[in-house]
Amino acid sequence: MYAEYIIKRFFYSFLAFFISISITFSILHLMPGDYIHYLAPYLAEVNPEASELFRHQFGLDKPIIEQYFIYIYNVFHGNWGYSFQYRVPVLKIISEKLYWTLIILLPSTFLSIVIGIFMGAHFGWRSGTKKDLSVLNVMIFIRAIPSYWWAIMLILVFGFYFNLFPLGGFISISALELGINYLDVLHHAILPIFTLTLCSIPGIYYLMRNSMLLTVGEDYIITARAKGLEERNVLRKHALKNAMLPMITMITLECAHMITGSIFIETIFSWPGLGLLTFNAILARDLFLLQGIFLICTLIIIIANFIADLSYLYIDPRIKVGESA
Amino acid sequence: MLRKKTFAIGICILVAFSIIAIFSPLLTPYDPYKIIETPLEKPNKNHVLGTNALGQDIFSRLIYGTRATLLIGFIGALVSISIGTFVGTVSGYYGGKIDEFITRAIDIIMTIPMFPLLLVLSIFLTPNMLGISVLMGILGWAGFSRIIRSQVLSLSEYNFIYSVRAMGARDPYIMAKHILPNILPLVVVKFVFAAQNYMLMGVGLGFLGLGDPSMIDWGQMINCAYTNGGFALGMWWWLLPPGLSIAFLSIAVSLVGYSFEDEINPRLRRMVS
Amino acid sequence: MSLLKLTHLKVHFPTQDGIVKAVNTIDLDIEENGKVGLIGETGCGKTVLGLSIMRLLQPDTRIKGENVYKGRDLLKLSEEEMRKIRGKEIAMILQNPTTSLNPVLKVGDQIAEAIRLHQGLDKRAAKEKVVEMLAAVKIPSPEKRANEYPHEFSGGMRERVMIAMALACNPTLIIADEPTTGLDITIKMQIVRLMKEVTKQRSMLFITHDLDAAAEICDNIAVMYAGELVEYAKTEAIFKNPRHPYTQGFLNSLPNRGLKPIRGMSPSLIGIPNGCRFYPRCDHAEAACKIQHPEMVELGNGHFVRCLQYDRS
Repeated sequence: MYAEYIIKRFFYSFLAFFISISITFSILHLMPGDYIHYLAPYLAEVNPEASELFRHQFGLDKPIIEQYFIYIYNVFHGNWGYSFQYRVPVLKIISEKLYWTLIILLPSTFLSIVIGIFMGAHFGWRSGTKKDLSVLNVMIFIRAIPSYWWAIMLILVFGFYFNLFPLGGFISISALELGINYLDVLHHAILPIFTLTLCSIPGIYYLMRNSMLLTVGEDYIITARAKGLEERNVLRKHALKNAMLPMITMITLECAHMITGSIFIETIFSWPGLGLLTFNAILARDLFLLQGIFLICTLIIIIANFIADLSYLYIDPRIKVGESA
Repeated sequence: MLRKKTFAIGICILVAFSIIAIFSPLLTPYDPYKIIETPLEKPNKNHVLGTNALGQDIFSRLIYGTRATLLIGFIGALVSISIGTFVGTVSGYYGGKIDEFITRAIDIIMTIPMFPLLLVLSIFLTPNMLGISVLMGILGWAGFSRIIRSQVLSLSEYNFIYSVRAMGARDPYIMAKHILPNILPLVVVKFVFAAQNYMLMGVGLGFLGLGDPSMIDWGQMINCAYTNGGFALGMWWWLLPPGLSIAFLSIAVSLVGYSFEDEINPRLRRMVS
Repeated sequence: MSLLKLTHLKVHFPTQDGIVKAVNTIDLDIEENGKVGLIGETGCGKTVLGLSIMRLLQPDTRIKGENVYKGRDLLKLSEEEMRKIRGKEIAMILQNPTTSLNPVLKVGDQIAEAIRLHQGLDKRAAKEKVVEMLAAVKIPSPEKRANEYPHEFSGGMRERVMIAMALACNPTLIIADEPTTGLDITIKMQIVRLMKEVTKQRSMLFITHDLDAAAEICDNIAVMYAGELVEYAKTEAIFKNPRHPYTQGFLNSLPNRGLKPIRGMSPSLIGIPNGCRFYPRCDHAEAACKIQHPEMVELGNGHFVRCLQYDRS
């Protein structure tokens, strides 16, 4: 049963990735003036070897169906095309930048999930109190303001006026002489991480609060109280796990939001990750690179989804018997 | 009571923004496209918010920017909610194989990150403002259709659907006359939130340099101020107004959306009130 | 001796549409070792009465009157003191075991929780006790079943789990809320027999709309209508000689007695009219019934009834 469930989930993830590849392929070939043919001579000028390789890899002289399969083969072998802006293979530059993005993305994902779940559970459990309603209003306010605006405001306040944090970048100028210092990088990372966390908390909080509101009214909560359990144990042992169940899928959907948020936040903080890379790729109209970024985002979300599906196996006992996920 | 008040406040702000958008030409002292002054003027009595790097009046551009943002939000929401409602209703109403297929398809579609795809497509298609809105709508319907589907599913359990079916009513008729009115409140709430989302996204695209260059929008204004050093030079009158406008507008839409959501969701209402 | 004595109990909830007067001035006695059946239609306030004894209603509920259990008024206890009574002294079997069992916890753990809490047993001892309890409610292969989740149990088996959970700490009083609803007839009779067996040495408030089940288990029956008691008597007397028109109608609506439903609908608990609450549906109604609210009168031999026919004060 486990195996069947996992294989099924894996199949759907694969399908999603497959569709993404098909989209990027179609775009390349629908591009007015045929982008690849336009790009190939350009490449030939700057790097004849790469151009030859490129031509060969993408089978440009073959019929379109064959090109499609060659393209898919290439994507699965890590040949995601060639950035004409950086003159390197797309996957190479993406993997370099991914590292920096994860420095921001992982801590803020973790923090916003923990804080959002905690606050949502706490206030959903005691909904209707003055505190709950004021927190709700604050969260609605935070959510309403776009991530790029929070980023600009926070830089203005903490970087510009209070001078507590650098205005952007990932290392100080002194690092040129002294080498990269972890504390220095951390100092640069704090404000972007804080911003991304701040922007991501309300979504998770709101979903968790709603989920908890529905759980509070369930009969098994009354059963737990009827046993004489302390209120905090009713919350911890009975309500939390049930309220968490629908959250797992929701959180993976929120991941897409976070990636979007990180594009803006990295751009504004000049953080050298995928977000800033995206911004520069847009400026340079570097389509291959943007497609690569799109594919890597799909992969990140697929992986997040897959982790979510696996965690259902541990949390929801009903999946074992093969009921729908 | 509190809910009604926030709803009213939100609506008032929205109406005010709409009036500004419609009557932009009457409210602006200068042609927003015309270069009328030396660039980078500080705010003065001729130019309330000074001028930008090209010497255009910032206040006039701010007023005109309202149009783009409202339109993007409205059209984007209209497209995605229409598709989402249609697909969700069909899926939930017919059930069986159709439903299974649509549900699976939506599961898969929702795995694909829409914003990066939107960026790729914007580069590829270089759409105008209308195109951007429609594109956002087309990319964003999947989530709504899932919500609508579950609502329709719970409706289909009611007997009245069976009885109209037993009377020989045709499916499109039942969907339009009996199901749609029942899901309408939910559709309206989702429309409001979608509009908010697309406004923010539209301004975001402008900020990333993907806006319609022939339109004035707040995102492009922020981008312009940001990349031309309005930020580093501390020219707040250049950078802040468009950002504050979108934040303010977004909050107003939020107020409307959340108070409406409270109103239609009895379970939440009982707990919150 | 009286174990639980409800005096002038009133339970009101504020809602958006007005105050729901779910329980109105109820007086009820449960003797030590006595079994009282609380009969009434859906929505008459039976469940609320049960939950109000346990103080498990929402915090904004207004409860007035007295709930004296073993000489202590439960309504005056602190939340902490009340918590120690729940599950240990008074246990409740909630209605609908499908939703009343936590879907994500193993059945054994849900039973063990109360045992560990009130009896301070360690994990292993609690586990042994759980198996013992499951065996006591006649669940086959209890060691194995203890490690299963609620969705792996059938409806009847889930009901047994609920009963085992209530019995776990050997409570003095059990409040059972519709334990036989939704079960098919053979399973129902098994559950009734089981309930009878496990409550031999206990008191019970048996809330149900199933008169047959109540007749099987209870010594006294209280009939509830629109938030108040309308008749209270020995089980035999209720069946052989029902005095209140509502009780008579209720009995006549049973399948084995002609399946004649009472006309009209049970009233909303918001904005209850003056006068007799059953008046609009009563075949014996007189003009006075509309104005004067009847009091509970004793007809002798522990038979009480709330009807103007008998209330000649």
